[in-house]
Amino acid sequence: MLLGVLSPTKGSIQYFGQDFAKNKSGALQHVTFASTYIKMPWRLTVWENLKVYGTLYDVQGKVFDQRMERFLQFFGVWDQRHKTMNMLSAGQTTRIMLAKAFLPYPKIVLLDEPTASLDPDIAHQVRKFVKMQRQEYGVSILYTSHNMAEVTDVCDEVMFLKKGQIVAIDDPLSLARSVKTTRMRLLVKDGLKRIVKFAKAQNLPVSIDDREAIIKIDEQKIAQFLAKLAEENISYSQIAIDKPTLEDYFLQMSQES
Amino acid sequence: MKLHRIKALFLRHLYPLRRDFDLLSDMLYWPLIDTLLWGITSQWLAETSGEANVALSILMALLMWNIIWRAQSEISRNLIDEIWNNNLVNLFSTPLMVREWLVSVMALSVIKMTFTLTIITTVIVGMWQANLLFFGWWLLPFIAAMVTTGWWIGFISAGIILRFGPKMQTVVWTLPGALLPFSAVFFPLERFPETLQIVSRMVPTTYIFETMRALAAGGAINWQALLFSFGFNFLYLALAIWYFVRSMRYSVKLGLGRFN
Repeated sequence: MLLGVLSPTKGSIQYFGQDFAKNKSGALQHVTFASTYIKMPWRLTVWENLKVYGTLYDVQGKVFDQRMERFLQFFGVWDQRHKTMNMLSAGQTTRIMLAKAFLPYPKIVLLDEPTASLDPDIAHQVRKFVKMQRQEYGVSILYTSHNMAEVTDVCDEVMFLKKGQIVAIDDPLSLARSVKTTRMRLLVKDGLKRIVKFAKAQNLPVSIDDREAIIKIDEQKIAQFLAKLAEENISYSQIAIDKPTLEDYFLQMSQES
Repeated sequence: MKLHRIKALFLRHLYPLRRDFDLLSDMLYWPLIDTLLWGITSQWLAETSGEANVALSILMALLMWNIIWRAQSEISRNLIDEIWNNNLVNLFSTPLMVREWLVSVMALSVIKMTFTLTIITTVIVGMWQANLLFFGWWLLPFIAAMVTTGWWIGFISAGIILRFGPKMQTVVWTLPGALLPFSAVFFPLERFPETLQIVSRMVPTTYIFETMRALAAGGAINWQALLFSFGFNFLYLALAIWYFVRSMRYSVKLGLGRFN
Protein backbone atom coordinates (compact mmCIF):
# COMPACT_ATOMS: atom_id res chain seq x y z
CA MET A 1 0.00 0.00 0.00
CA LEU A 2 2.84 2.37 0.88
CA LEU A 3 4.34 1.65 -2.55
CA GLY A 4 1.17 2.08 -4.54
CA VAL A 5 0.88 -1.54 -5.66
CA LEU A 6 -2.20 -2.15 -3.51
CA SER A 7 -4.86 0.47 -3.04
CA PRO A 8 -6.25 1.13 0.44
CA THR A 9 -9.91 0.33 1.08
CA LYS A 10 -10.08 3.14 3.60
CA GLY A 11 -8.05 6.15 4.63
CA SER A 12 -5.25 7.95 2.84
CA ILE A 13 -1.46 8.03 2.81
CA GLN A 14 0.60 11.19 3.13
CA TYR A 15 4.22 11.48 2.02
CA PHE A 16 6.16 14.69 2.58
CA GLY A 17 2.93 16.55 3.31
CA GLN A 18 1.26 15.49 0.08
CA ASP A 19 -1.50 13.04 -0.67
CA PHE A 20 0.15 9.90 -2.05
CA ALA A 21 -2.78 8.99 -4.30
CA LYS A 22 -2.46 12.35 -6.08
CA ASN A 23 1.32 12.43 -6.35
CA LYS A 24 2.28 8.80 -6.72
CA SER A 25 5.14 9.14 -9.18
CA GLY A 26 6.67 12.13 -7.38
CA ALA A 27 6.53 10.45 -3.96
CA LEU A 28 7.92 7.14 -5.20
CA GLN A 29 11.05 8.93 -6.43
CA HIS A 30 11.97 9.10 -2.72
CA VAL A 31 10.37 5.93 -1.35
CA THR A 32 11.86 2.54 -2.17
CA PHE A 33 11.73 -0.98 -0.83
CA ALA A 34 13.51 -4.30 -0.62
CA SER A 35 11.90 -7.62 0.13
CA THR A 36 13.08 -11.18 0.22
CA TYR A 37 9.93 -12.18 -1.58
CA ILE A 38 10.23 -10.06 -4.72
CA LYS A 39 12.76 -10.93 -7.40
CA MET A 40 14.26 -9.17 -10.37
CA PRO A 41 14.23 -10.40 -14.00
CA TRP A 42 16.41 -13.50 -14.06
CA ARG A 43 17.60 -13.14 -17.63
CA LEU A 44 19.31 -9.84 -16.86
CA THR A 45 22.64 -9.61 -15.09
CA VAL A 46 22.96 -7.97 -11.71
CA TRP A 47 24.53 -4.91 -13.30
CA GLU A 48 21.89 -4.66 -16.04
CA ASN A 49 19.06 -4.94 -13.54
CA LEU A 50 20.53 -2.25 -11.35
CA LYS A 51 21.09 -0.09 -14.41
CA VAL A 52 17.41 -0.41 -15.34
CA TYR A 53 16.40 0.67 -11.85
CA GLY A 54 18.99 3.43 -11.73
CA THR A 55 17.64 4.80 -14.99
CA LEU A 56 14.06 4.60 -13.71
CA TYR A 57 15.10 6.88 -10.84
CA ASP A 58 17.34 8.96 -13.10
CA VAL A 59 20.53 7.92 -11.30
CA GLN A 60 22.79 7.44 -14.29
CA GLY A 61 26.34 7.71 -15.56
CA LYS A 62 29.24 8.14 -13.15
CA VAL A 63 27.05 8.66 -10.10
CA PHE A 64 25.40 5.32 -10.74
CA ASP A 65 28.68 3.50 -11.42
CA GLN A 66 30.38 4.79 -8.28
CA ARG A 67 27.43 4.22 -6.00
CA MET A 68 26.82 0.69 -7.24
CA GLU A 69 30.47 -0.25 -7.03
CA ARG A 70 30.53 0.93 -3.44
CA PHE A 71 27.37 -0.98 -2.51
CA LEU A 72 28.29 -4.21 -4.27
CA GLN A 73 31.82 -4.13 -2.82
CA PHE A 74 30.40 -3.58 0.64
CA PHE A 75 28.08 -6.54 0.30
CA GLY A 76 30.78 -8.73 -1.19
CA VAL A 77 28.87 -9.33 -4.43
CA TRP A 78 30.99 -7.14 -6.72
CA ASP A 79 32.36 -10.23 -8.48
CA GLN A 80 28.83 -11.42 -9.22
CA ARG A 81 27.83 -8.30 -11.13
CA HIS A 82 27.99 -9.89 -14.57
CA LYS A 83 26.07 -12.98 -13.57
CA THR A 84 22.41 -13.28 -14.48
CA MET A 85 20.07 -13.12 -11.50
CA ASN A 86 19.17 -16.81 -11.64
CA MET A 87 22.83 -17.69 -10.93
CA LEU A 88 22.72 -16.04 -7.51
CA SER A 89 22.00 -17.61 -4.15
CA ALA A 90 19.04 -16.37 -2.08
CA GLY A 91 21.40 -14.41 0.15
CA GLN A 92 23.10 -12.74 -2.78
CA THR A 93 19.74 -11.80 -4.31
CA THR A 94 18.68 -10.22 -1.04
CA ARG A 95 21.81 -8.06 -1.04
CA ILE A 96 21.22 -6.97 -4.63
CA MET A 97 17.66 -6.01 -3.70
CA LEU A 98 19.06 -3.90 -0.86
CA ALA A 99 21.46 -2.19 -3.24
CA LYS A 100 18.48 -1.48 -5.49
CA ALA A 101 16.49 -0.03 -2.60
CA PHE A 102 19.21 2.40 -1.54
CA LEU A 103 20.34 3.26 -5.07
CA PRO A 104 18.28 6.42 -5.73
CA TYR A 105 19.20 8.28 -2.49
CA PRO A 106 15.77 7.54 -0.99
CA LYS A 107 14.28 9.42 1.94
CA ILE A 108 12.16 6.48 3.07
CA VAL A 109 12.96 2.81 2.61
CA LEU A 110 10.65 -0.07 3.41
CA LEU A 111 12.57 -3.20 4.30
CA ASP A 112 10.59 -6.40 4.51
CA GLU A 113 12.62 -8.91 6.50
CA PRO A 114 15.89 -7.95 4.86
CA THR A 115 17.89 -10.50 6.82
CA ALA A 116 15.64 -13.52 6.33
CA SER A 117 17.56 -16.33 4.61
CA LEU A 118 20.94 -14.71 5.32
CA ASP A 119 23.91 -16.20 7.15
CA PRO A 120 24.65 -14.50 10.48
CA ASP A 121 27.75 -12.69 9.19
CA ILE A 122 25.91 -11.27 6.20
CA ALA A 123 22.88 -10.41 8.29
CA HIS A 124 25.27 -8.48 10.50
CA GLN A 125 26.61 -6.65 7.45
CA VAL A 126 23.12 -5.79 6.31
CA ARG A 127 22.31 -4.27 9.69
CA LYS A 128 25.55 -2.34 9.55
CA PHE A 129 24.70 -1.08 6.08
CA VAL A 130 21.21 0.01 7.10
CA LYS A 131 22.57 1.88 10.11
CA MET A 132 25.26 3.50 7.95
CA GLN A 133 22.74 4.70 5.38
CA ARG A 134 20.59 6.13 8.11
CA GLN A 135 23.50 8.00 9.60
CA GLU A 136 24.97 9.20 6.32
CA TYR A 137 21.82 10.30 4.52
CA GLY A 138 19.22 10.49 7.26
CA VAL A 139 17.08 7.84 5.57
CA SER A 140 13.96 6.84 7.46
CA ILE A 141 13.52 3.12 7.45
CA LEU A 142 10.43 1.07 8.04
CA TYR A 143 11.72 -2.35 9.01
CA THR A 144 9.78 -5.54 9.49
CA SER A 145 11.44 -8.48 11.15
CA HIS A 146 10.72 -11.58 13.17
CA ASN A 147 14.07 -11.30 14.86
CA MET A 148 13.58 -9.28 18.04
CA ALA A 149 17.30 -8.99 18.79
CA GLU A 150 17.72 -7.41 15.38
CA VAL A 151 14.84 -5.01 15.97
CA THR A 152 16.39 -3.96 19.28
CA ASP A 153 19.69 -3.39 17.51
CA VAL A 154 18.43 -1.46 14.48
CA CYS A 155 15.21 0.33 15.39
CA ASP A 156 14.60 3.57 17.26
CA GLU A 157 10.94 2.88 17.60
CA VAL A 158 8.99 -0.33 17.53
CA MET A 159 5.39 -0.90 16.67
CA PHE A 160 3.60 -4.16 17.40
CA LEU A 161 0.57 -5.13 15.39
CA LYS A 162 -1.96 -7.68 16.48
CA LYS A 163 -4.90 -8.62 14.27
CA GLY A 164 -4.44 -5.41 12.32
CA GLN A 165 -4.42 -3.20 15.40
CA ILE A 166 -1.45 -1.30 16.77
CA VAL A 167 -0.98 -2.67 20.28
CA ALA A 168 2.26 -0.90 21.24
CA ILE A 169 4.56 1.87 20.06
CA ASP A 170 7.74 2.76 21.94
CA ASP A 171 11.50 2.42 21.77
CA PRO A 172 12.70 -1.18 22.12
CA LEU A 173 14.29 -0.76 25.56
CA SER A 174 11.23 0.80 27.14
CA LEU A 175 9.07 -1.97 25.78
CA ALA A 176 11.45 -4.61 27.13
CA ARG A 177 11.58 -2.86 30.49
CA SER A 178 7.81 -2.84 30.71
CA VAL A 179 8.08 -6.59 31.24
CA LYS A 180 8.36 -6.84 34.99
CA THR A 181 9.35 -10.46 35.37
CA THR A 182 12.97 -11.49 34.86
CA ARG A 183 14.28 -14.99 34.41
CA MET A 184 16.50 -16.11 37.24
CA ARG A 185 18.58 -19.18 36.54
CA LEU A 186 20.08 -21.09 39.46
CA LEU A 187 22.62 -23.83 38.85
CA VAL A 188 22.18 -26.35 41.62
CA LYS A 189 24.39 -29.31 42.40
CA ASP A 190 22.22 -30.72 45.08
CA GLY A 191 18.70 -29.97 46.14
CA LEU A 192 17.11 -29.07 42.78
CA LYS A 193 13.81 -30.57 43.89
CA ARG A 194 13.80 -28.54 47.07
CA ILE A 195 14.27 -25.33 45.11
CA VAL A 196 11.38 -26.19 42.82
CA LYS A 197 9.18 -26.97 45.78
CA PHE A 198 10.24 -23.79 47.50
CA ALA A 199 9.50 -21.64 44.42
CA LYS A 200 6.15 -23.29 43.87
CA ALA A 201 5.23 -22.62 47.48
CA GLN A 202 5.71 -18.92 46.73
CA ASN A 203 3.58 -19.12 43.58
CA LEU A 204 6.50 -18.50 41.22
CA PRO A 205 6.53 -20.19 37.81
CA VAL A 206 9.48 -22.52 37.71
CA SER A 207 10.96 -24.94 35.21
CA ILE A 208 13.98 -27.24 35.12
CA ASP A 209 16.57 -27.31 32.40
CA ASP A 210 19.27 -29.92 33.06
CA ARG A 211 20.78 -28.88 36.44
CA GLU A 212 19.25 -25.42 36.27
CA ALA A 213 16.12 -24.16 37.91
CA ILE A 214 14.58 -21.30 35.94
CA ILE A 215 12.32 -19.11 37.97
CA LYS A 216 10.25 -16.22 36.64
CA ILE A 217 10.25 -13.48 39.19
CA ASP A 218 9.79 -9.70 39.51
CA GLU A 219 13.13 -7.94 39.63
CA GLN A 220 12.41 -6.28 42.98
CA LYS A 221 11.55 -9.55 44.64
CA ILE A 222 14.83 -11.30 43.83
CA ALA A 223 16.71 -10.18 46.96
CA GLN A 224 13.85 -11.26 49.17
CA PHE A 225 13.68 -14.62 47.46
CA LEU A 226 17.40 -15.27 47.80
CA ALA A 227 17.34 -14.34 51.48
CA LYS A 228 14.57 -16.82 52.13
CA LEU A 229 16.51 -19.43 50.18
CA ALA A 230 19.48 -18.92 52.49
CA GLU A 231 17.23 -19.23 55.53
CA GLU A 232 16.09 -22.59 54.22
CA ASN A 233 19.72 -23.61 53.76
CA ILE A 234 19.33 -24.25 50.08
CA SER A 235 22.52 -23.48 48.19
CA TYR A 236 23.25 -22.94 44.53
CA SER A 237 26.58 -22.80 42.75
CA GLN A 238 25.80 -20.20 40.09
CA ILE A 239 23.17 -17.55 39.55
CA ALA A 240 22.25 -15.68 36.38
CA ILE A 241 19.53 -13.10 35.93
CA ASP A 242 18.28 -12.48 32.40
CA LYS A 243 16.98 -8.99 31.86
CA PRO A 244 13.69 -8.98 29.92
CA THR A 245 14.21 -8.50 26.21
CA LEU A 246 11.97 -7.35 23.39
CA GLU A 247 11.33 -11.00 22.72
CA ASP A 248 9.96 -11.41 26.24
CA TYR A 249 7.73 -8.43 25.59
CA PHE A 250 6.56 -10.03 22.36
CA LEU A 251 5.82 -13.33 24.08
CA GLN A 252 4.00 -11.64 26.92
CA MET A 253 1.94 -9.63 24.48
CA SER A 254 1.04 -12.61 22.32
CA GLN A 255 -0.04 -14.60 25.37
CA GLU A 256 -2.44 -11.89 26.50
CA SER A 257 -5.50 -12.28 24.35
CA MET B 1 6.11 11.63 -18.79
CA LYS B 2 9.89 11.33 -18.37
CA LEU B 3 12.27 10.15 -21.06
CA HIS B 4 14.68 8.47 -18.65
CA ARG B 5 11.94 6.16 -17.43
CA ILE B 6 11.08 5.17 -20.99
CA LYS B 7 14.77 4.57 -21.62
CA ALA B 8 14.86 2.34 -18.54
CA LEU B 9 12.08 0.16 -19.94
CA PHE B 10 13.91 -0.01 -23.25
CA LEU B 11 16.98 -1.32 -21.42
CA ARG B 12 14.81 -3.74 -19.49
CA HIS B 13 13.53 -5.33 -22.70
CA LEU B 14 16.57 -4.94 -24.94
CA TYR B 15 19.23 -6.35 -22.58
CA PRO B 16 17.77 -9.89 -22.65
CA LEU B 17 18.15 -9.98 -26.44
CA ARG B 18 21.86 -10.49 -25.85
CA ARG B 19 21.31 -13.97 -24.53
CA ASP B 20 17.68 -14.98 -24.70
CA PHE B 21 16.96 -17.38 -27.53
CA ASP B 22 13.23 -17.38 -26.78
CA LEU B 23 13.03 -13.78 -27.78
CA LEU B 24 15.35 -14.17 -30.74
CA SER B 25 13.33 -17.06 -32.07
CA ASP B 26 10.21 -14.90 -31.85
CA MET B 27 11.93 -12.10 -33.69
CA LEU B 28 13.79 -14.10 -36.27
CA TYR B 29 13.28 -17.84 -36.38
CA TRP B 30 9.50 -18.07 -36.71
CA PRO B 31 9.18 -15.19 -39.17
CA LEU B 32 11.83 -16.83 -41.36
CA ILE B 33 10.17 -20.24 -41.20
CA ASP B 34 6.86 -18.57 -42.11
CA THR B 35 8.46 -16.81 -45.02
CA LEU B 36 10.03 -19.95 -46.39
CA LEU B 37 6.84 -21.98 -46.02
CA TRP B 38 4.46 -19.43 -47.51
CA GLY B 39 6.91 -18.11 -50.04
CA ILE B 40 7.27 -21.49 -51.71
CA THR B 41 3.59 -22.38 -51.29
CA SER B 42 2.52 -19.11 -52.90
CA GLN B 43 4.89 -19.60 -55.83
CA TRP B 44 3.53 -23.05 -56.40
CA LEU B 45 -0.08 -21.83 -56.17
CA ALA B 46 0.63 -18.96 -58.56
CA GLU B 47 2.20 -21.27 -61.13
CA THR B 48 -0.51 -23.91 -61.01
CA SER B 49 -3.35 -21.39 -61.03
CA GLY B 50 -1.71 -19.19 -63.59
CA GLU B 51 -2.53 -16.10 -61.54
CA ALA B 52 0.71 -14.34 -60.64
CA ASN B 53 -0.93 -11.89 -58.25
CA VAL B 54 -1.88 -14.74 -55.91
CA ALA B 55 1.76 -15.07 -54.94
CA LEU B 56 2.14 -11.36 -54.32
CA SER B 57 -1.05 -11.26 -52.24
CA ILE B 58 0.01 -14.16 -50.07
CA LEU B 59 3.54 -12.85 -49.50
CA MET B 60 2.21 -9.41 -48.69
CA ALA B 61 -0.33 -10.94 -46.30
CA LEU B 62 2.45 -12.83 -44.61
CA LEU B 63 4.49 -9.69 -44.17
CA MET B 64 1.54 -7.80 -42.76
CA TRP B 65 0.56 -10.63 -40.45
CA ASN B 66 4.06 -10.62 -39.00
CA ILE B 67 3.67 -6.92 -38.25
CA ILE B 68 0.47 -7.54 -36.29
CA TRP B 69 2.05 -10.44 -34.46
CA ARG B 70 5.17 -8.53 -33.44
CA ALA B 71 3.29 -5.42 -32.44
CA GLN B 72 0.88 -7.29 -30.15
CA SER B 73 3.41 -9.65 -28.68
CA GLU B 74 5.68 -6.79 -27.65
CA ILE B 75 2.87 -5.52 -25.45
CA SER B 76 1.24 -8.60 -23.96
CA ARG B 77 4.43 -10.64 -23.76
CA ASN B 78 6.31 -7.85 -22.06
CA LEU B 79 3.62 -7.67 -19.43
CA ILE B 80 3.48 -11.43 -18.83
CA ASP B 81 7.29 -11.42 -18.68
CA GLU B 82 7.15 -9.07 -15.68
CA ILE B 83 4.74 -11.46 -13.98
CA TRP B 84 6.89 -14.50 -14.77
CA ASN B 85 9.92 -12.69 -13.41
CA ASN B 86 8.22 -11.58 -10.23
CA ASN B 87 9.03 -8.02 -11.26
CA LEU B 88 5.65 -6.31 -11.46
CA VAL B 89 5.81 -4.97 -7.91
CA ASN B 90 9.37 -3.74 -8.43
CA LEU B 91 8.42 -1.89 -11.57
CA PHE B 92 5.24 -0.21 -10.44
CA SER B 93 6.61 0.77 -7.04
CA THR B 94 9.02 3.13 -8.82
CA PRO B 95 8.07 6.55 -10.20
CA LEU B 96 7.10 4.77 -13.44
CA MET B 97 3.65 5.84 -14.64
CA VAL B 98 1.24 3.55 -16.48
CA ARG B 99 1.24 5.90 -19.47
CA GLU B 100 5.04 5.69 -19.64
CA TRP B 101 4.77 1.94 -19.72
CA LEU B 102 2.21 2.20 -22.54
CA VAL B 103 4.41 4.48 -24.63
CA SER B 104 7.50 2.33 -24.02
CA VAL B 105 5.96 -0.93 -25.12
CA MET B 106 4.43 0.70 -28.20
CA ALA B 107 7.79 2.20 -29.16
CA LEU B 108 9.57 -1.11 -28.46
CA SER B 109 7.10 -2.91 -30.69
CA VAL B 110 7.91 -0.56 -33.58
CA ILE B 111 11.66 -1.06 -33.09
CA LYS B 112 11.50 -4.86 -32.94
CA MET B 113 8.98 -4.97 -35.78
CA THR B 114 11.27 -2.92 -38.02
CA PHE B 115 14.03 -5.43 -37.34
CA THR B 116 11.88 -8.45 -38.22
CA LEU B 117 10.39 -6.70 -41.22
CA THR B 118 13.77 -5.83 -42.67
CA ILE B 119 14.88 -9.44 -42.49
CA ILE B 120 11.73 -10.93 -43.98
CA THR B 121 11.57 -8.34 -46.75
CA THR B 122 15.16 -9.02 -47.72
CA VAL B 123 14.47 -12.75 -47.91
CA ILE B 124 11.23 -12.34 -49.85
CA VAL B 125 12.75 -9.94 -52.37
CA GLY B 126 15.97 -11.93 -52.61
CA MET B 127 14.43 -15.37 -53.07
CA TRP B 128 11.40 -14.68 -55.20
CA GLN B 129 12.07 -11.26 -56.65
CA ALA B 130 8.59 -10.39 -55.41
CA ASN B 131 7.87 -6.78 -56.19
CA LEU B 132 6.76 -5.63 -52.76
CA LEU B 133 7.23 -2.05 -53.78
CA PHE B 134 4.40 -2.64 -56.20
CA PHE B 135 2.18 -1.04 -53.54
CA GLY B 136 4.37 2.05 -53.36
CA TRP B 137 3.44 4.60 -50.73
CA TRP B 138 0.35 2.60 -49.86
CA LEU B 139 2.64 0.39 -47.84
CA LEU B 140 2.89 3.08 -45.16
CA PRO B 141 -0.81 3.29 -44.25
CA PHE B 142 -1.04 -0.50 -44.54
CA ILE B 143 1.80 -0.96 -42.06
CA ALA B 144 0.35 1.70 -39.77
CA ALA B 145 -2.99 -0.13 -39.76
CA MET B 146 -1.30 -3.43 -38.88
CA VAL B 147 0.69 -1.89 -36.05
CA THR B 148 -2.39 -0.22 -34.62
CA THR B 149 -4.29 -3.50 -34.73
CA GLY B 150 -1.37 -5.27 -33.07
CA TRP B 151 -1.40 -2.68 -30.31
CA TRP B 152 -5.04 -2.98 -29.42
CA ILE B 153 -4.92 -6.74 -29.40
CA GLY B 154 -1.85 -6.51 -27.19
CA PHE B 155 -3.54 -4.16 -24.74
CA ILE B 156 -6.63 -6.36 -24.53
CA SER B 157 -4.53 -9.47 -23.79
CA ALA B 158 -2.40 -7.55 -21.30
CA GLY B 159 -5.55 -6.21 -19.63
CA ILE B 160 -7.03 -9.71 -19.39
CA ILE B 161 -3.82 -11.02 -17.80
CA LEU B 162 -3.69 -8.16 -15.30
CA ARG B 163 -7.27 -8.92 -14.30
CA PHE B 164 -7.23 -12.70 -14.16
CA GLY B 165 -3.55 -13.49 -13.72
CA PRO B 166 -1.23 -15.92 -15.47
CA LYS B 167 -3.93 -18.60 -15.64
CA MET B 168 -5.24 -16.60 -18.62
CA GLN B 169 -1.83 -16.14 -20.21
CA THR B 170 -2.84 -18.20 -23.22
CA VAL B 171 -4.58 -15.10 -24.62
CA VAL B 172 -1.13 -13.79 -25.55
CA TRP B 173 -1.07 -16.39 -28.32
CA THR B 174 -4.73 -17.24 -28.91
CA LEU B 175 -6.31 -13.81 -29.18
CA PRO B 176 -4.22 -12.63 -32.16
CA GLY B 177 -4.68 -16.06 -33.75
CA ALA B 178 -8.40 -15.35 -34.14
CA LEU B 179 -7.52 -12.56 -36.53
CA LEU B 180 -5.96 -14.95 -39.03
CA PRO B 181 -9.27 -16.28 -40.37
CA PHE B 182 -11.49 -13.36 -39.35
CA SER B 183 -9.50 -10.66 -41.08
CA ALA B 184 -9.22 -12.81 -44.21
CA VAL B 185 -5.45 -12.68 -44.23
CA PHE B 186 -4.74 -15.27 -46.91
CA PHE B 187 -8.07 -15.66 -48.75
CA PRO B 188 -10.67 -13.23 -50.10
CA LEU B 189 -13.42 -12.29 -47.68
CA GLU B 190 -16.11 -13.75 -49.97
CA ARG B 191 -14.64 -17.19 -49.29
CA PHE B 192 -15.48 -16.85 -45.60
CA PRO B 193 -18.85 -18.26 -44.36
CA GLU B 194 -21.42 -15.51 -44.83
CA THR B 195 -22.58 -15.26 -41.22
CA LEU B 196 -18.98 -14.93 -40.04
CA GLN B 197 -18.35 -12.20 -42.60
CA ILE B 198 -20.37 -9.88 -40.36
CA VAL B 199 -17.67 -10.25 -37.72
CA SER B 200 -14.95 -9.84 -40.32
CA ARG B 201 -16.42 -6.53 -41.39
CA MET B 202 -15.83 -5.21 -37.89
CA VAL B 203 -12.17 -6.18 -37.97
CA PRO B 204 -10.12 -3.26 -39.31
CA THR B 205 -7.44 -5.37 -40.97
CA THR B 206 -9.98 -7.16 -43.17
CA TYR B 207 -10.32 -3.98 -45.24
CA ILE B 208 -6.57 -3.67 -45.61
CA PHE B 209 -6.11 -7.23 -46.83
CA GLU B 210 -9.04 -6.82 -49.24
CA THR B 211 -7.57 -3.57 -50.54
CA MET B 212 -4.19 -5.19 -51.01
CA ARG B 213 -5.66 -8.05 -53.00
CA ALA B 214 -7.65 -5.60 -55.10
CA LEU B 215 -4.53 -3.57 -55.83
CA ALA B 216 -2.50 -6.69 -56.66
CA ALA B 217 -5.23 -7.75 -59.11
CA GLY B 218 -4.98 -4.37 -60.79
CA GLY B 219 -8.04 -2.83 -59.12
CA ALA B 220 -8.46 0.60 -57.56
CA ILE B 221 -8.32 1.78 -53.97
CA ASN B 222 -11.60 1.62 -52.10
CA TRP B 223 -11.46 4.78 -50.01
CA GLN B 224 -14.52 3.92 -48.01
CA ALA B 225 -12.99 0.62 -46.96
CA LEU B 226 -9.81 2.34 -45.82
CA LEU B 227 -11.83 4.87 -43.88
CA PHE B 228 -13.71 2.07 -42.11
CA SER B 229 -10.46 0.34 -41.37
CA PHE B 230 -8.83 3.33 -39.71
CA GLY B 231 -12.03 4.33 -37.96
CA PHE B 232 -12.41 0.91 -36.37
CA ASN B 233 -8.73 0.72 -35.59
CA PHE B 234 -8.57 3.96 -33.63
CA LEU B 235 -11.81 3.22 -31.87
CA TYR B 236 -10.54 -0.20 -30.79
CA LEU B 237 -7.16 1.17 -29.75
CA ALA B 238 -8.83 3.77 -27.55
CA LEU B 239 -11.12 1.14 -26.02
CA ALA B 240 -8.26 -1.32 -25.51
CA ILE B 241 -6.10 1.27 -23.72
CA TRP B 242 -9.07 2.22 -21.60
CA TYR B 243 -9.60 -1.45 -20.74
CA PHE B 244 -5.93 -1.91 -19.92
CA VAL B 245 -5.83 1.11 -17.61
CA ARG B 246 -9.00 -0.06 -15.89
CA SER B 247 -7.55 -3.56 -15.48
CA MET B 248 -4.42 -2.03 -13.98
CA ARG B 249 -6.54 -0.14 -11.46
CA TYR B 250 -8.54 -3.27 -10.69
CA SER B 251 -5.31 -5.23 -10.28
CA VAL B 252 -3.85 -2.65 -7.88
CA LYS B 253 -7.04 -2.90 -5.85
CA LEU B 254 -6.37 -6.62 -5.38
CA GLY B 255 -2.62 -6.01 -5.08
CA LEU B 256 0.01 -6.44 -7.78
CA GLY B 257 1.92 -8.65 -5.35
CA ARG B 258 -0.69 -11.39 -5.64
CA PHE B 259 0.96 -12.87 -8.75
CA ASN B 260 4.16 -13.71 -6.87
